[in-house]
Amino acid sequence: MASRKKSLLKVIILGDSSVGKTSLMNQYVNKRFSNQYKATIGADFLTKEVVVDDRVVTMQIWDTAGQERFQSLGVAFYRGADCCVLVFDVTAPNTFKNLDSWRDEFLIQASPRDPEHFPFVVLGNKVDLENRAVSQKRAQQWCQLKNDIPYFETSAKEGINVEYAFQTIAKNALAQEAEVELYNEFPDQIRLNADRNNRPRNADNCQC
Amino acid sequence: MWIQPKELLLPMAFWVNEITSKYFVLQRRLGHDQSRGFSSLLVGTIDSVANRKPPPFRILHTPSAEIYYEIANAITHEEIVKDWEWLKSNLFRVLNEMETEEEITNFTICKIQSLYEYTTNSKGNEETIDSSNLKIAAAKFRQEFHMPEDENLVNYYSCSYVKNKIPRQGCLYISMNYVCFYSFMLGTETKLAIRFSEIVEIKKSSTWIYIRTTNNNNYSFGLFPLYVSEAHRLINQLNKMALDEMMQNPESPKVEHELSGFQNQTRLTSKKPGLLRDLKARLKSEDYKIFFRLPANEILDGKIKADLWTPYAKRFSSGNIFLSPNFLCFRSDVKGLVNLVIPLRIIRSAEKKDDGPSRFENQIIVSTSESTFLFSKISERDFLLEKISSLLANIHVPVRSEREKYDMSWSIQAALMNTFKIELTDQMIEKQNIKLKKWEDHFREYGRGITMFRTTAIINLVIEGIPDALRQELWMLLSGAIHEKETNPGLYEDLVEKSASKHTSTHDEIERDLHRSLPEHPAFQHADGIGALRRVLQAYALRNQAVGYCQAMNIVSSAFLIFCDEEDAFWLLASLCENLLPDYYNDKIVGAQIDQGVLNELISEHLPNLHAHLEELGVIKMISLSWFLSIFLSVIPYESALYIIDCFFYDGAKVIFIIALKILEWNEDKLLACRDDGEAMQVFNEYLNGIYNNEYQLLKKTEIVKQSQSVQTLLHEAYSRFGENISTQKIEELRNKHRRLTVHQFDADNENSIVKNFKDNIYFEPEELRLLLVAIREEKKNIKKNQKTLGESPIQLSPHPENDGRMREKIEAYKVDFDTFRVLFCELTPWSRCHSVDLSEKLFRLTDKKCTGSLDLNQFVRVLGIVCSDKEVEKLKLLYILHLPPLLSRTELENPVKPEKEKEGPEVAVEAEDFFSDDPSESIEALPSPTDHNFIEGSRLSTDQRNDAANDTSNYSLNSQNARTSTFYVDLPELSAKDRFESIDTFSDISDLGAKPVNFETISNLSQISDLNVMKLENQPSSTSSFDTKSLSSLRFIFDQSESQQQIPDMKRANFHALWKSLTEIVGASDAEMEKAYTDLITIGETYANSDKEESLDSFTQLGIPGSSDEADNNGNTTLSPTTEPSSSIASSCFAAIETHRTSDASVSQDKWQIHINQFIPTVIAVKSISDCFGKHVSLKESIEKMQKNRRKCVPMKY
Repeated sequence: MASRKKSLLKVIILGDSSVGKTSLMNQYVNKRFSNQYKATIGADFLTKEVVVDDRVVTMQIWDTAGQERFQSLGVAFYRGADCCVLVFDVTAPNTFKNLDSWRDEFLIQASPRDPEHFPFVVLGNKVDLENRAVSQKRAQQWCQLKNDIPYFETSAKEGINVEYAFQTIAKNALAQEAEVELYNEFPDQIRLNADRNNRPRNADNCQC
Repeated sequence: MWIQPKELLLPMAFWVNEITSKYFVLQRRLGHDQSRGFSSLLVGTIDSVANRKPPPFRILHTPSAEIYYEIANAITHEEIVKDWEWLKSNLFRVLNEMETEEEITNFTICKIQSLYEYTTNSKGNEETIDSSNLKIAAAKFRQEFHMPEDENLVNYYSCSYVKNKIPRQGCLYISMNYVCFYSFMLGTETKLAIRFSEIVEIKKSSTWIYIRTTNNNNYSFGLFPLYVSEAHRLINQLNKMALDEMMQNPESPKVEHELSGFQNQTRLTSKKPGLLRDLKARLKSEDYKIFFRLPANEILDGKIKADLWTPYAKRFSSGNIFLSPNFLCFRSDVKGLVNLVIPLRIIRSAEKKDDGPSRFENQIIVSTSESTFLFSKISERDFLLEKISSLLANIHVPVRSEREKYDMSWSIQAALMNTFKIELTDQMIEKQNIKLKKWEDHFREYGRGITMFRTTAIINLVIEGIPDALRQELWMLLSGAIHEKETNPGLYEDLVEKSASKHTSTHDEIERDLHRSLPEHPAFQHADGIGALRRVLQAYALRNQAVGYCQAMNIVSSAFLIFCDEEDAFWLLASLCENLLPDYYNDKIVGAQIDQGVLNELISEHLPNLHAHLEELGVIKMISLSWFLSIFLSVIPYESALYIIDCFFYDGAKVIFIIALKILEWNEDKLLACRDDGEAMQVFNEYLNGIYNNEYQLLKKTEIVKQSQSVQTLLHEAYSRFGENISTQKIEELRNKHRRLTVHQFDADNENSIVKNFKDNIYFEPEELRLLLVAIREEKKNIKKNQKTLGESPIQLSPHPENDGRMREKIEAYKVDFDTFRVLFCELTPWSRCHSVDLSEKLFRLTDKKCTGSLDLNQFVRVLGIVCSDKEVEKLKLLYILHLPPLLSRTELENPVKPEKEKEGPEVAVEAEDFFSDDPSESIEALPSPTDHNFIEGSRLSTDQRNDAANDTSNYSLNSQNARTSTFYVDLPELSAKDRFESIDTFSDISDLGAKPVNFETISNLSQISDLNVMKLENQPSSTSSFDTKSLSSLRFIFDQSESQQQIPDMKRANFHALWKSLTEIVGASDAEMEKAYTDLITIGETYANSDKEESLDSFTQLGIPGSSDEADNNGNTTLSPTTEPSSSIASSCFAAIETHRTSDASVSQDKWQIHINQFIPTVIAVKSISDCFGKHVSLKESIEKMQKNRRKCVPMKY
């Protein structure tokens, strides 16, 4: 099935508790914001028909529980994911720091065929709030380090950038197969990653 | 041990006389010494097959040639000799003075009898209760399986075990942590030890018990049908206890597996061995608590048959009275007919009733403040009354303690439904009133409150939905939360105030979810509701820190808060987390995952078609988590889910299962049509959202949801379809099964993800790494077991892991402490062959950079990887570094570690019960005993005649030996041999005295000291040369730098000798080529010494321990003298070479002799035998599998 174009996209939304995963999903699918959501237990699920490159595809969006102790239970949902959306709250630095862990955990649990180039998208949510604590630059830097993950600043409440972000998500998910080949021609990308491994903290790992 | 004297008819069969006197014989049973004659084997086999375990030593009294009385027996020779000595000193002379045979016999028997009674009485009940058979079996069990003294044997069964299609008859031992099998058939020994925590599956048939372990090994044991179920139940129970322990978070307080609480239970009437009885009592107690929903610390005291007068039916119902410290309960024989719970604290009196029409039926009347209960036909009425009154006398009635002052900023919030009223339609109010009336009728008939008669009539009311006004009362009652509340008055306020005073990260988590609990209810859009919810959750997080706060607790708690006041809501939550849904909300959500497994099995049983399809879609795990954790509150509209909660408090988790099954069955067709998990999710979402409740409406719905089914229909259908088949007991059984699977799956998942995380490591294949992780996990448990024997808990020095990655936490669990490292190193690497230098210790110190007392997985994989790899240069370099100071210090060079005694492989075909005659010191050897070192060290040195100052040196080296061993053990000096070998019984005491582990504190101190030395060294301005590399941390640095060999310091002669010895030992034997290489290297070193004197600056050792070089020389000689140890004969040839060399070059000063690694490695690698040995890759998989096999067979560890 290497090059078969899918008409069904499976998208997983990950991120810490209360960063706005459920709200983002509902804003995108139902075009509506509510502050009356319950905390997600296990997982929630919505679908939406989207048009990407003149093709109609069904997007299955899986919204997951954010509390740390639920993280290892995510495996059941990760199976066959086409794209992973990492969400953090721009007013809560910890939620940004934890992106690493969410990403690693996803890659380990989902075991995509090409982990280096699996399509992620990062959303910095709640930009409508005043007490912002994670700068756009910092978030972008992180995304760059991780093989240039696309980054969007969103507000589920105001509906800022949500539509656009999910469009990109759909596009990247669809383009996944093609991109793999493309990326392979850019050795710089790989070196970026290698540089990171050379940091002294990781010396134990590879310098032997 | 003196015994009740008994006459023997066949005194000589199977026994041999050891000592005889005029009137006494000391005998030993055949097959209990080192001899391996045929008769020994035969007796061994007979004893083993017949499952007979006579003590192997005995003393007979023989007043004349034909008459024999057995008067004493013993398990060890020492013990019997002690008795013999007593006879000798007390009786021999007296008896000689007597005249008639009769007089002698009478006197002796009388004397022995009194001795026997004296000893048994003084030992108290403890000893007599454990039948002596079990005690002997326990001794044998510990011996054969090298179990520590506190590994208590629960019971043993005659059993056959089929291995390679050959059945072996033997004995199945069940101890607290192991199930073991031992058989001895004509010289062939079979041993098998399975730890309870590694059992994945337990099955039984009428005569067999099947066990599957984590390594996917299957074992089946055939037992007498009579015992199968007892053994099976025991294995199940102990396995559950082991798993509970595994699931415990190491930081949370341990659940005590203390059985002492059960010991007062009808002690004298039972003839079963103590531990077995305690375990049974424990099991019964569990059932009792679950059945009556009693607090967790309630321990069943006993039960008695009785009839209970049920006034509503105007007749007696037969059943049992259960009595425990705080409760008197009754359960009818007919299931569900009537149950009764009376807390003892409200009992006013319990007395005989000997009047009325049935005055001869042993009746008693129990009266509480509100009502009276009549029991009859109690066979042991007086005993029961006595018991009740003694329990009543001891009852502690908790009082709400007077509090100084409340924090006035809050007060207990009453049920929120009173403040935030929901407008119900007249019709709904009417419905509620009808229900209320029904309940009042019920109360009138069956009583109200805790002591009401609980009959099946209740469920018929509950299933209709409890009216709002009664929810608080009935929820508290049905869940059993009321008992906890009443025994802990004031606790809630305390917890609220304590938790408010400190801020934790849990509070943040709670804060985030307060507004996301039940947002559709107006109460939770208001500060009152939110405040109450916050207090309840924070208080609970403080009460149960293992759980803390888990999402979904907020949702259920808010539902409680609507109908109950804050304190009751808290106790309902406690009862939910601790009794009704055990382990659901803990940090791994284990309980819910176990129940997912249970649900999966129930689906496959009841809806087989659907099961296959759902399994394929992988959907069961996705859906059920929220159903379980929030009791459907997060998936079904609130007003409908409430009715499910009503039933849940009555019937427990069973309700969740039957409703889940009914939902699946109802949607079977739609689900079968789904092509992927998403579609299935949609089916569920639509259906669950559409469940409605026309009797009760929370709010006017803003959006129209397609109604699917009423909750009433769902409940009725669920109960009628599945209610009968799925009982609470069945769920408990399935939970046990899936608990095993789930807990082991955790480990497997963890290990797999760690393996993925380590996929870049260059040393091991993923499969090897996985096996290694398993081995680490298993060994840690083994070591823990042994450390427990030594009465010392492992000291945790590691700093708290940074919370920056969950992967890191997972890896953290596989940290390797020194004991584990040593075991794994010795078991898995070829370098364990080197025994003159303790390489494991050196390697550990080298690798443990931060001196934390443990290696993280990265470090461990790296060292083990190098040692097992085929990288000869790297390995040689590592070996070289390990022999540099300060790792190999001068004191050690002077006193090489005592080499391991040569063992002739695994013990094959020893006598069945050879342990009786074994020298106990053999078994002690399994434990490190530093006194041993001293002993041998001392004697060896004293025979050393070449040394002029023999006395001085031996003293000195003894001290330094002590210093060395004290790295790990504190010596208790002067332990006389007599004390040590006293008996097997004092085994653990000996090891306690002999080797008290001090563990890593000392290690790290030691390394800190050496680091301090380094600091000094580096601070010296004079250290212009490259000699700063002599410190430990520099060695670590060198070790990390794979490239350059230039910085590696040169090696002194003494160290080089040790290095060469290690090398020879690792290779196995020295050949001519190696000897040549050795002489070459010695020459190179000398050349160096002669040519370059500038470089020979002070070595680190001399700085560290100031002393003249002469002394060093002397001691060097001592070490290098030809050793008398037989095992070092391998190396002796090359040491002969050293000797000749030294004498010929006596002029060359030892100080100046140096060799560089660049000279060492090329020379050595050119030697074929060395290069073959070091260039060989060692398969970790093979060695781990071998180790696991050895563990299973209980081959003792000897390091």
